[in-house]
Amino acid sequence: MHIDHQKNEIVFKIVYYGPGLSGKTTNLEYVHSQLDPGLCGDLISLKTSEGRTLFFDFLHLELGRIQGKKPRFHLYTTAGQARYAASRQVVLQGTDSLVFVVDSQRGRLADNFASLKELQNRLTQNGVAITQLPWLIQYNKRDLPMAEDVAVLERKLNIWEVPYIEAIAVTGRGVFLTLRKAIELIIKK
Amino acid sequence: MSGQPNGNSVILSEKSYQEINTYLGDLLQKSRASLCVFADMNGYPVSYKTTRTALNVDTLTALAVNDFSATAEIAKILGETQRFRYLYHEGIKQNLYLCNIGNHYLLIVIFGPHVNLGMIRMLSQHVAGKLDALLNRIRDEKDKVAKYMDVEFRTLLGQELDKAFGLKN
Ligand SMILES: Nc1nc2c(ncn2[C@@H]2O[C@H](COP(=O)(O)OP(=O)(O)O)[C@@H](O)[C@H]2O)c(=O)[nH]1
Ligand SMILES: [Mg+2]
Repeated sequence: MHIDHQKNEIVFKIVYYGPGLSGKTTNLEYVHSQLDPGLCGDLISLKTSEGRTLFFDFLHLELGRIQGKKPRFHLYTTAGQARYAASRQVVLQGTDSLVFVVDSQRGRLADNFASLKELQNRLTQNGVAITQLPWLIQYNKRDLPMAEDVAVLERKLNIWEVPYIEAIAVTGRGVFLTLRKAIELIIKK
Repeated sequence: MSGQPNGNSVILSEKSYQEINTYLGDLLQKSRASLCVFADMNGYPVSYKTTRTALNVDTLTALAVNDFSATAEIAKILGETQRFRYLYHEGIKQNLYLCNIGNHYLLIVIFGPHVNLGMIRMLSQHVAGKLDALLNRIRDEKDKVAKYMDVEFRTLLGQELDKAFGLKN
């Protein structure tokens, strides 16, 4: 986080991480579509020609002043594809809270797992243990018929027993709850 | 905090801020640039001075920092042992100059076609040196976060978020 005493502002960095196509960009798109434009900047997406995230997406949110202090939030998604690993490392730097977006479909279990492992390694390289970082899991795509039971996903993926939220990011279900929880984990820390 | 690449909090004293602002103001004026940002490598604009209005400095900074970091990877691939010292993007009406400060901070300068690049380079280098010295002098004070975000602030922030996100009334 970053505190600016002159402008009396505090800025938090929240990163959405997870395998490619799990719904990270969709989360930010929904947040952007719902919030008052006064609270929320443009959604910046660096996309490839096929519409996949290249580097990251970025969204800037802010609230009105509280006790004179202005809270602001920088939301990033990472590029899920394996070849953009270096970029993920950079986006992870100085993260205050992280949302791991799981693609709940049965066939994606190995991808989710690999991405979690990678997250752990990247954090270690940045000198942060995954247990030190405030983070939660979002089980996304709960609407799909091939979605695995949450109990099974919990057992196989959530060995840290971090909080989780079920979501259908395309319809917005669970999206704000997830973001709210990510921020709560910072302010409760 | 200069020595820590993944530092979670960057907190400078008022005095340090004033000093940074003086350098940035000086740079803006002498170089006739339209924007000078002192940013950290986490993507935050620590401070900036500008003659332009309606510019989203947060977004610009996030993009510039990531641009710079991407080229740091290129430097590595090329076998450079350090990050590139500066980057320059030339447009028709606007130019962008990015200058590395001690690997954890970045100076971002935007200027028009009437300004000479050599001038920007020289002045930026000078200010980067001053900022680097300042950062090596100061020490981060972690307890300031707790002071800034007291219990009441945390509670009120939670309530404001619920309102903004339409979660409770
Ligand atoms: N059915 C369904 N599709 C989703 C959901 N969330 C995202 N998608 C779709 O999954 C695809 C990949 O989403 P995207 O946000 O680009 O994934 P990212 O790579 O993690 O950024 C897109 O076609 C989305 O519309 C969901 O909850 N249910
Ligand atoms: Mg994406």
